[in-house]
Amino acid sequence: MDALKGKQTDTTAPDKEWKFSEILADHKTRDRWEKVRQYFFLRESTYDMSNRCNIKCEGCYYFEGDKQFARENKDPEAWRELMRAEKERGITYVVLAGAEPSMAPELCEVCYQEMPLGAIASNGLKFIPESIQYKIHISAWGNDETSFKIRNAKNMLGRQIENYKGDPRAVFVYTFTRDNIDQVFEVAAKIAEHGCQLTFNMFSAPVGYDGSLRHTADSLDKTRKAMIDLLLKYPRNVLFSYYNAVAHTHRSGLHDLYACSYPRMNPSTDIGLGRSFRQYRTDLSWNREVACCVPDTDCVDCRHYASGSAVVTARLFRHAGDPDTFKAWLDYVDTYLAIWVMGYDKGDNLCSHLVAPPGHEVF
Amino acid sequence: MSTETDVEKITLRIAQIMIDELKLEDVTPETFDPEIDLIDEVGIDSMDLATVALVLRDEYAIRIDEDDYPKLKNIRLLSEYIDNKLKNRS
Repeated sequence: MDALKGKQTDTTAPDKEWKFSEILADHKTRDRWEKVRQYFFLRESTYDMSNRCNIKCEGCYYFEGDKQFARENKDPEAWRELMRAEKERGITYVVLAGAEPSMAPELCEVCYQEMPLGAIASNGLKFIPESIQYKIHISAWGNDETSFKIRNAKNMLGRQIENYKGDPRAVFVYTFTRDNIDQVFEVAAKIAEHGCQLTFNMFSAPVGYDGSLRHTADSLDKTRKAMIDLLLKYPRNVLFSYYNAVAHTHRSGLHDLYACSYPRMNPSTDIGLGRSFRQYRTDLSWNREVACCVPDTDCVDCRHYASGSAVVTARLFRHAGDPDTFKAWLDYVDTYLAIWVMGYDKGDNLCSHLVAPPGHEVF
Repeated sequence: MSTETDVEKITLRIAQIMIDELKLEDVTPETFDPEIDLIDEVGIDSMDLATVALVLRDEYAIRIDEDDYPKLKNIRLLSEYIDNKLKNRS
Protein backbone atom coordinates (compact mmCIF):
# COMPACT_ATOMS: atom_id res chain seq x y z
CA MET A 1 0.00 0.00 0.00
CA ASP A 2 1.55 3.33 -1.05
CA ALA A 3 0.05 5.13 1.89
CA LEU A 4 2.16 3.04 4.26
CA LYS A 5 5.43 4.15 2.66
CA GLY A 6 4.94 7.72 3.78
CA LYS A 7 6.51 10.96 2.70
CA GLN A 8 8.18 13.73 4.58
CA THR A 9 7.14 16.97 2.90
CA ASP A 10 4.75 18.35 0.35
CA THR A 11 5.92 16.97 -2.96
CA THR A 12 4.86 20.06 -4.87
CA ALA A 13 7.55 22.17 -3.19
CA PRO A 14 9.76 20.12 -0.89
CA ASP A 15 12.30 22.90 -0.17
CA LYS A 16 9.91 25.80 0.14
CA GLU A 17 9.85 27.73 3.41
CA TRP A 18 6.16 27.94 4.12
CA LYS A 19 4.49 30.81 5.88
CA PHE A 20 1.81 29.83 8.36
CA SER A 21 -0.66 32.02 6.47
CA GLU A 22 0.12 30.05 3.28
CA ILE A 23 -0.51 26.76 5.06
CA LEU A 24 -3.84 28.12 6.29
CA ALA A 25 -4.82 29.30 2.79
CA ASP A 26 -6.30 25.84 2.20
CA HIS A 27 -9.83 26.18 3.54
CA LYS A 28 -10.08 22.65 4.96
CA THR A 29 -6.86 23.18 6.87
CA ARG A 30 -8.00 26.56 8.16
CA ASP A 31 -11.42 25.25 9.20
CA ARG A 32 -9.85 22.39 11.13
CA TRP A 33 -7.31 24.74 12.74
CA GLU A 34 -10.12 27.05 13.88
CA LYS A 35 -12.02 24.04 15.20
CA VAL A 36 -9.22 22.55 17.28
CA ARG A 37 -7.75 25.79 18.61
CA GLN A 38 -10.95 26.44 20.54
CA TYR A 39 -9.76 23.73 22.90
CA PHE A 40 -6.34 25.13 23.64
CA PHE A 41 -7.72 26.16 27.03
CA LEU A 42 -7.60 22.55 28.27
CA ARG A 43 -5.17 22.10 31.19
CA GLU A 44 -5.09 18.58 32.59
CA SER A 45 -4.14 16.81 35.74
CA THR A 46 -4.72 13.19 36.71
CA TYR A 47 -6.06 11.56 39.85
CA ASP A 48 -5.94 8.05 41.30
CA MET A 49 -9.41 7.51 42.70
CA SER A 50 -9.07 4.26 44.61
CA ASN A 51 -6.43 1.66 45.36
CA ARG A 52 -8.97 -1.08 44.66
CA CYS A 53 -9.63 -2.91 41.42
CA ASN A 54 -12.01 -5.70 40.49
CA ILE A 55 -9.41 -7.48 38.34
CA LYS A 56 -5.64 -7.86 38.35
CA CYS A 57 -3.87 -7.41 35.02
CA GLU A 58 -0.33 -8.37 34.10
CA GLY A 59 1.73 -5.23 33.51
CA CYS A 60 -0.78 -2.89 35.21
CA TYR A 61 0.85 0.50 35.84
CA TYR A 62 -1.10 1.22 38.98
CA PHE A 63 0.35 -1.73 40.81
CA GLU A 64 3.93 -0.77 39.93
CA GLY A 65 5.88 1.56 42.23
CA ASP A 66 4.67 2.81 45.60
CA LYS A 67 1.54 4.77 44.62
CA GLN A 68 -0.56 1.64 45.21
CA PHE A 69 0.26 1.91 48.94
CA ALA A 70 -1.13 5.43 49.37
CA ARG A 71 -4.01 5.69 51.85
CA GLU A 72 -7.43 6.09 50.22
CA ASN A 73 -9.11 9.38 50.95
CA LYS A 74 -12.80 8.48 50.65
CA ASP A 75 -14.16 11.79 51.89
CA PRO A 76 -16.21 13.41 49.07
CA GLU A 77 -15.80 16.84 50.63
CA ALA A 78 -12.01 16.51 50.58
CA TRP A 79 -12.26 15.73 46.87
CA ARG A 80 -14.60 18.66 46.31
CA GLU A 81 -12.12 20.94 48.02
CA LEU A 82 -9.31 19.52 45.88
CA MET A 83 -11.27 20.09 42.66
CA ARG A 84 -12.01 23.69 43.64
CA ALA A 85 -8.35 24.27 44.41
CA GLU A 86 -7.43 22.71 41.07
CA LYS A 87 -9.76 25.10 39.27
CA GLU A 88 -8.17 27.97 41.14
CA ARG A 89 -4.74 27.07 39.80
CA GLY A 90 -6.03 26.84 36.24
CA ILE A 91 -6.84 23.15 35.73
CA THR A 92 -9.76 22.72 33.31
CA TYR A 93 -9.67 19.00 32.61
CA VAL A 94 -9.35 15.93 34.84
CA VAL A 95 -8.35 12.36 34.09
CA LEU A 96 -9.61 9.95 36.74
CA ALA A 97 -7.55 6.79 36.64
CA GLY A 98 -6.08 4.15 38.96
CA ALA A 99 -6.71 1.72 40.20
CA GLU A 100 -10.34 1.39 39.01
CA PRO A 101 -12.41 4.60 39.32
CA SER A 102 -15.73 2.75 39.03
CA MET A 103 -15.00 1.44 42.54
CA ALA A 104 -15.44 5.01 43.82
CA PRO A 105 -18.39 6.44 41.84
CA GLU A 106 -19.32 8.92 44.58
CA LEU A 107 -15.89 10.55 44.26
CA CYS A 108 -16.12 10.63 40.44
CA GLU A 109 -19.50 12.32 40.85
CA VAL A 110 -18.01 15.06 43.02
CA CYS A 111 -15.22 15.63 40.51
CA TYR A 112 -17.76 15.99 37.71
CA GLN A 113 -19.87 18.43 39.71
CA GLU A 114 -16.86 20.69 40.18
CA MET A 115 -14.97 20.10 36.91
CA PRO A 116 -17.25 19.41 33.94
CA LEU A 117 -14.58 18.24 31.47
CA GLY A 118 -12.73 15.02 31.92
CA ALA A 119 -12.25 11.33 31.26
CA ILE A 120 -12.25 8.15 33.30
CA ALA A 121 -9.98 5.21 32.60
CA SER A 122 -11.94 2.06 33.42
CA ASN A 123 -11.93 -1.66 32.70
CA GLY A 124 -15.63 -1.27 31.88
CA LEU A 125 -16.84 -4.15 34.04
CA LYS A 126 -18.74 -1.95 36.49
CA PHE A 127 -21.06 0.63 34.94
CA ILE A 128 -20.33 4.25 35.82
CA PRO A 129 -23.53 6.24 36.47
CA GLU A 130 -24.76 8.32 33.53
CA SER A 131 -24.87 11.39 35.73
CA ILE A 132 -21.07 11.52 35.33
CA GLN A 133 -20.73 12.89 31.83
CA TYR A 134 -17.02 12.33 31.36
CA LYS A 135 -15.58 10.34 28.51
CA ILE A 136 -15.04 6.75 29.64
CA HIS A 137 -12.04 4.93 28.24
CA ILE A 138 -12.61 1.20 28.39
CA SER A 139 -9.49 -0.89 28.26
CA ALA A 140 -9.24 -3.87 25.91
CA TRP A 141 -6.09 -5.98 25.92
CA GLY A 142 -6.92 -8.65 23.36
CA ASN A 143 -9.67 -11.17 22.71
CA ASP A 144 -11.56 -12.91 25.51
CA GLU A 145 -9.06 -15.75 25.69
CA THR A 146 -6.21 -13.31 26.23
CA SER A 147 -8.25 -11.23 28.68
CA PHE A 148 -8.87 -14.33 30.73
CA LYS A 149 -5.20 -15.22 30.63
CA ILE A 150 -3.69 -11.82 31.54
CA ARG A 151 -6.63 -10.14 33.34
CA ASN A 152 -8.34 -13.18 34.83
CA ALA A 153 -11.73 -11.95 33.62
CA LYS A 154 -14.21 -14.09 31.68
CA ASN A 155 -16.24 -12.84 28.66
CA MET A 156 -14.68 -9.46 29.17
CA LEU A 157 -15.48 -7.75 25.85
CA GLY A 158 -19.10 -8.91 25.88
CA ARG A 159 -19.57 -7.54 29.40
CA GLN A 160 -17.90 -4.25 28.51
CA ILE A 161 -20.09 -3.83 25.42
CA GLU A 162 -23.23 -4.76 27.34
CA ASN A 163 -22.46 -2.00 29.83
CA TYR A 164 -21.57 0.72 27.32
CA LYS A 165 -23.13 0.11 23.88
CA GLY A 166 -24.93 3.23 22.68
CA ASP A 167 -23.25 5.31 25.39
CA PRO A 168 -21.67 8.44 23.85
CA ARG A 169 -19.22 8.59 26.74
CA ALA A 170 -17.57 5.32 25.83
CA VAL A 171 -14.40 4.83 23.79
CA PHE A 172 -12.80 1.39 23.78
CA VAL A 173 -9.02 1.60 23.99
CA TYR A 174 -7.25 -1.41 22.53
CA THR A 175 -3.74 -1.73 23.90
CA PHE A 176 -1.41 -3.44 21.47
CA THR A 177 1.14 -5.70 23.06
CA ARG A 178 3.67 -7.80 21.21
CA ASP A 179 1.36 -10.80 21.54
CA ASN A 180 -2.13 -9.56 20.69
CA ILE A 181 -1.77 -7.76 17.35
CA ASP A 182 -3.74 -10.27 15.29
CA GLN A 183 -6.55 -10.37 17.86
CA VAL A 184 -7.43 -6.71 17.27
CA PHE A 185 -9.39 -7.62 14.13
CA GLU A 186 -11.96 -9.76 15.94
CA VAL A 187 -12.18 -7.27 18.80
CA ALA A 188 -12.67 -4.31 16.42
CA ALA A 189 -15.31 -6.22 14.43
CA LYS A 190 -17.31 -6.86 17.58
CA ILE A 191 -16.98 -3.28 18.78
CA ALA A 192 -18.01 -1.91 15.37
CA GLU A 193 -20.90 -4.37 15.13
CA HIS A 194 -22.35 -2.80 18.27
CA GLY A 195 -21.78 0.76 17.02
CA CYS A 196 -19.16 1.52 19.65
CA GLN A 197 -16.02 3.61 19.18
CA LEU A 198 -12.46 2.39 19.34
CA THR A 199 -9.01 3.90 19.55
CA PHE A 200 -5.56 2.42 20.06
CA ASN A 201 -2.93 2.42 22.74
CA MET A 202 0.51 0.87 22.85
CA PHE A 203 1.84 -1.24 25.67
CA SER A 204 4.74 0.74 27.10
CA ALA A 205 6.84 -1.14 29.56
CA PRO A 206 6.81 -0.14 33.21
CA VAL A 207 10.26 0.57 34.67
CA GLY A 208 12.04 -2.74 35.17
CA TYR A 209 9.51 -4.76 33.17
CA ASP A 210 11.11 -7.66 31.36
CA GLY A 211 8.07 -9.63 30.22
CA SER A 212 6.84 -10.71 26.82
CA LEU A 213 4.48 -7.77 26.19
CA ARG A 214 7.24 -5.26 25.36
CA HIS A 215 7.29 -4.26 21.68
CA THR A 216 10.02 -5.02 19.17
CA ALA A 217 10.77 -3.44 15.79
CA ASP A 218 8.75 -6.17 14.08
CA SER A 219 5.76 -5.81 16.37
CA LEU A 220 5.79 -2.04 15.90
CA ASP A 221 5.65 -2.45 12.11
CA LYS A 222 2.91 -5.04 12.34
CA THR A 223 0.91 -2.89 14.74
CA ARG A 224 1.15 0.12 12.44
CA LYS A 225 -0.26 -1.89 9.57
CA ALA A 226 -3.10 -3.24 11.72
CA MET A 227 -3.98 0.28 12.87
CA ILE A 228 -4.18 1.60 9.32
CA ASP A 229 -6.13 -1.42 8.09
CA LEU A 230 -8.75 -0.90 10.80
CA LEU A 231 -8.86 2.87 10.29
CA LEU A 232 -9.77 2.20 6.66
CA LYS A 233 -12.16 -0.64 7.42
CA TYR A 234 -14.15 1.08 10.18
CA PRO A 235 -13.80 4.84 9.57
CA ARG A 236 -16.92 5.65 11.62
CA ASN A 237 -15.88 3.56 14.60
CA VAL A 238 -12.12 3.93 14.74
CA LEU A 239 -10.92 7.23 16.19
CA PHE A 240 -7.42 7.42 14.80
CA SER A 241 -5.31 8.92 12.00
CA TYR A 242 -2.28 8.03 9.92
CA TYR A 243 -0.19 10.35 12.02
CA ASN A 244 -1.39 8.71 15.24
CA ALA A 245 -0.10 5.45 13.79
CA VAL A 246 3.27 7.00 12.94
CA ALA A 247 3.72 8.70 16.32
CA HIS A 248 2.85 5.62 18.35
CA THR A 249 4.57 2.88 16.35
CA HIS A 250 7.78 4.70 15.49
CA ARG A 251 11.04 2.95 16.38
CA SER A 252 11.69 5.89 18.71
CA GLY A 253 9.37 6.46 21.64
CA LEU A 254 7.40 9.64 22.22
CA HIS A 255 10.08 11.28 24.36
CA ASP A 256 12.73 10.86 21.70
CA LEU A 257 10.41 12.09 18.97
CA TYR A 258 8.78 15.05 20.69
CA ALA A 259 10.60 15.72 24.00
CA CYS A 260 8.04 14.82 26.65
CA SER A 261 6.72 17.87 28.46
CA TYR A 262 5.35 16.14 31.56
CA PRO A 263 7.09 17.19 34.80
CA ARG A 264 8.84 13.85 35.25
CA MET A 265 10.92 14.53 32.12
CA ASN A 266 10.68 18.31 32.02
CA PRO A 267 12.40 20.36 34.72
CA SER A 268 10.85 23.68 33.60
CA THR A 269 8.03 25.00 35.76
CA ASP A 270 7.54 28.15 33.70
CA ILE A 271 4.86 27.19 31.20
CA GLY A 272 2.76 24.31 29.85
CA LEU A 273 2.53 20.86 31.43
CA GLY A 274 5.76 21.39 33.36
CA ARG A 275 4.01 24.20 35.19
CA SER A 276 0.48 22.94 35.74
CA PHE A 277 0.35 19.13 35.54
CA ARG A 278 0.03 17.08 38.70
CA GLN A 279 -0.63 13.40 39.26
CA TYR A 280 -2.49 12.90 42.52
CA ARG A 281 -2.47 9.69 44.49
CA THR A 282 -5.45 8.35 46.39
CA ASP A 283 -4.34 10.21 49.52
CA LEU A 284 -4.46 13.47 47.47
CA SER A 285 -0.71 13.95 47.64
CA TRP A 286 1.45 14.45 44.56
CA ASN A 287 5.13 14.36 43.75
CA ARG A 288 6.63 16.37 40.90
CA GLU A 289 9.50 13.91 40.50
CA VAL A 290 7.18 11.16 39.24
CA ALA A 291 4.37 13.23 37.70
CA CYS A 292 3.30 12.09 34.26
CA CYS A 293 0.17 10.63 32.69
CA VAL A 294 1.17 7.02 33.35
CA PRO A 295 3.71 7.03 36.22
CA ASP A 296 6.24 4.23 36.44
CA THR A 297 6.43 3.82 32.67
CA ASP A 298 9.91 3.40 31.26
CA CYS A 299 10.17 6.76 29.43
CA VAL A 300 12.32 5.33 26.63
CA ASP A 301 9.58 2.85 25.78
CA CYS A 302 6.64 5.26 26.26
CA ARG A 303 4.14 5.23 23.40
CA HIS A 304 1.01 5.73 25.51
CA TYR A 305 -2.02 7.24 23.85
CA ALA A 306 -2.51 9.47 26.87
CA SER A 307 1.03 10.76 26.72
CA GLY A 308 0.88 11.40 22.98
CA SER A 309 -2.36 13.32 23.34
CA ALA A 310 -0.51 15.95 25.34
CA VAL A 311 3.03 15.69 24.03
CA VAL A 312 2.34 15.61 20.27
CA THR A 313 -0.33 18.27 20.58
CA ALA A 314 2.02 20.59 22.46
CA ARG A 315 4.48 20.59 19.54
CA LEU A 316 2.40 22.86 17.34
CA PHE A 317 5.24 25.10 16.17
CA ARG A 318 7.47 22.37 14.81
CA HIS A 319 4.56 20.80 12.89
CA ALA A 320 3.73 24.04 11.10
CA GLY A 321 6.64 23.78 8.66
CA ASP A 322 4.73 22.55 5.60
CA PRO A 323 1.11 21.77 4.69
CA ASP A 324 1.39 17.98 4.94
CA THR A 325 2.99 17.93 8.36
CA PHE A 326 0.51 20.48 9.66
CA LYS A 327 -2.45 18.49 8.33
CA ALA A 328 -1.03 15.39 10.02
CA TRP A 329 -0.79 17.31 13.30
CA LEU A 330 -4.35 18.59 12.91
CA ASP A 331 -5.58 15.02 12.38
CA TYR A 332 -3.79 14.01 15.55
CA VAL A 333 -5.29 16.85 17.59
CA ASP A 334 -8.75 16.27 16.11
CA THR A 335 -8.47 12.61 17.10
CA TYR A 336 -7.26 13.42 20.58
CA LEU A 337 -10.16 15.82 21.19
CA ALA A 338 -12.73 13.29 19.93
CA ILE A 339 -11.33 10.69 22.32
CA TRP A 340 -11.09 12.93 25.36
CA VAL A 341 -13.80 15.61 25.15
CA MET A 342 -17.54 14.93 25.43
CA GLY A 343 -19.47 16.40 22.52
CA TYR A 344 -16.45 16.86 20.24
CA ASP A 345 -17.03 15.18 16.87
CA LYS A 346 -14.07 14.01 14.87
CA GLY A 347 -13.86 15.23 11.29
CA ASP A 348 -12.55 13.24 8.35
CA ASN A 349 -8.78 12.94 8.40
CA LEU A 350 -7.08 15.55 6.21
CA CYS A 351 -4.03 13.38 5.57
CA SER A 352 -4.29 9.93 3.98
CA HIS A 353 -0.66 8.85 4.05
CA LEU A 354 2.13 8.54 6.59
CA VAL A 355 3.98 11.73 7.43
CA ALA A 356 7.27 11.70 9.35
CA PRO A 357 7.56 13.46 12.70
CA PRO A 358 9.57 16.69 12.24
CA GLY A 359 13.27 15.89 12.17
CA HIS A 360 12.74 12.14 11.91
CA GLU A 361 12.09 9.44 9.37
CA VAL A 362 8.65 7.92 8.96
CA PHE A 363 9.65 4.60 10.62
CA MET B 1 21.42 49.03 14.10
CA SER B 2 18.06 49.06 15.82
CA THR B 3 16.76 51.91 17.91
CA GLU B 4 14.34 52.26 20.77
CA THR B 5 11.72 53.16 18.19
CA ASP B 6 12.21 49.80 16.44
CA VAL B 7 11.61 47.93 19.67
CA GLU B 8 8.56 50.10 20.40
CA LYS B 9 7.14 49.34 16.96
CA ILE B 10 7.69 45.63 17.46
CA THR B 11 6.09 45.85 20.91
CA LEU B 12 2.95 47.45 19.49
CA ARG B 13 2.80 44.92 16.68
CA ILE B 14 3.15 41.96 19.06
CA ALA B 15 0.41 43.43 21.24
CA GLN B 16 -1.87 43.69 18.20
CA ILE B 17 -1.12 40.08 17.18
CA MET B 18 -1.83 38.83 20.71
CA ILE B 19 -5.12 40.73 20.83
CA ASP B 20 -6.17 39.35 17.43
CA GLU B 21 -4.99 35.76 17.81
CA LEU B 22 -5.98 35.23 21.42
CA LYS B 23 -9.16 37.31 21.17
CA LEU B 24 -8.22 39.45 24.15
CA GLU B 25 -10.85 41.99 25.13
CA ASP B 26 -10.76 45.44 26.69
CA VAL B 27 -7.20 46.11 25.62
CA THR B 28 -5.55 47.91 22.69
CA PRO B 29 -1.93 47.73 21.54
CA GLU B 30 -1.36 51.10 23.20
CA THR B 31 -2.85 50.05 26.55
CA PHE B 32 -1.31 46.56 26.60
CA ASP B 33 1.27 46.79 29.39
CA PRO B 34 4.50 45.42 27.87
CA GLU B 35 5.68 44.41 31.34
CA ILE B 36 2.59 42.40 32.30
CA ASP B 37 3.35 38.73 32.91
CA LEU B 38 1.73 36.90 30.00
CA ILE B 39 1.55 33.57 31.80
CA ASP B 40 0.63 34.56 35.36
CA GLU B 41 -1.49 37.63 34.66
CA VAL B 42 -2.87 37.25 31.13
CA GLY B 43 -3.28 33.45 31.39
CA ILE B 44 -1.42 32.62 28.18
CA ASP B 45 -0.06 29.08 27.89
CA SER B 46 2.36 27.28 25.61
CA MET B 47 -0.22 26.63 22.85
CA ASP B 48 -1.14 30.33 22.77
CA LEU B 49 2.50 31.29 22.64
CA ALA B 50 3.13 28.81 19.81
CA THR B 51 0.24 30.33 17.86
CA VAL B 52 1.65 33.84 18.32
CA ALA B 53 5.12 32.54 17.41
CA LEU B 54 3.78 31.27 14.08
CA VAL B 55 2.28 34.64 13.19
CA LEU B 56 5.51 36.38 14.23
CA ARG B 57 7.45 33.93 12.05
CA ASP B 58 5.37 35.07 9.08
CA GLU B 59 5.74 38.73 9.94
CA TYR B 60 9.47 38.94 10.75
CA ALA B 61 10.82 35.77 9.11
CA ILE B 62 12.35 34.67 12.41
CA ARG B 63 11.99 31.48 14.38
CA ILE B 64 11.14 31.48 18.07
CA ASP B 65 12.54 28.27 19.48
CA GLU B 66 10.19 26.22 21.66
CA ASP B 67 12.91 26.07 24.31
CA ASP B 68 12.86 29.86 24.52
CA TYR B 69 9.15 30.18 25.39
CA PRO B 70 9.72 30.12 29.16
CA LYS B 71 12.03 33.15 28.89
CA LEU B 72 9.47 35.25 27.00
CA LYS B 73 7.33 36.18 29.96
CA ASN B 74 6.15 39.57 28.72
CA ILE B 75 5.82 41.56 25.51
CA ARG B 76 8.92 43.64 26.22
CA LEU B 77 11.08 40.51 26.46
CA LEU B 78 9.45 39.13 23.32
CA SER B 79 10.09 42.31 21.34
CA GLU B 80 13.71 42.48 22.51
CA TYR B 81 14.11 38.81 21.53
CA ILE B 82 12.80 39.55 18.02
CA ASP B 83 14.87 42.72 17.74
CA ASN B 84 18.00 40.75 18.64
CA LYS B 85 17.21 38.09 16.06
CA LEU B 86 16.69 40.77 13.41
CA LYS B 87 19.94 42.49 14.36
CA ASN B 88 21.89 39.24 14.22
CA ARG B 89 20.49 38.54 10.79
CA SER B 90 21.48 41.89 9.28
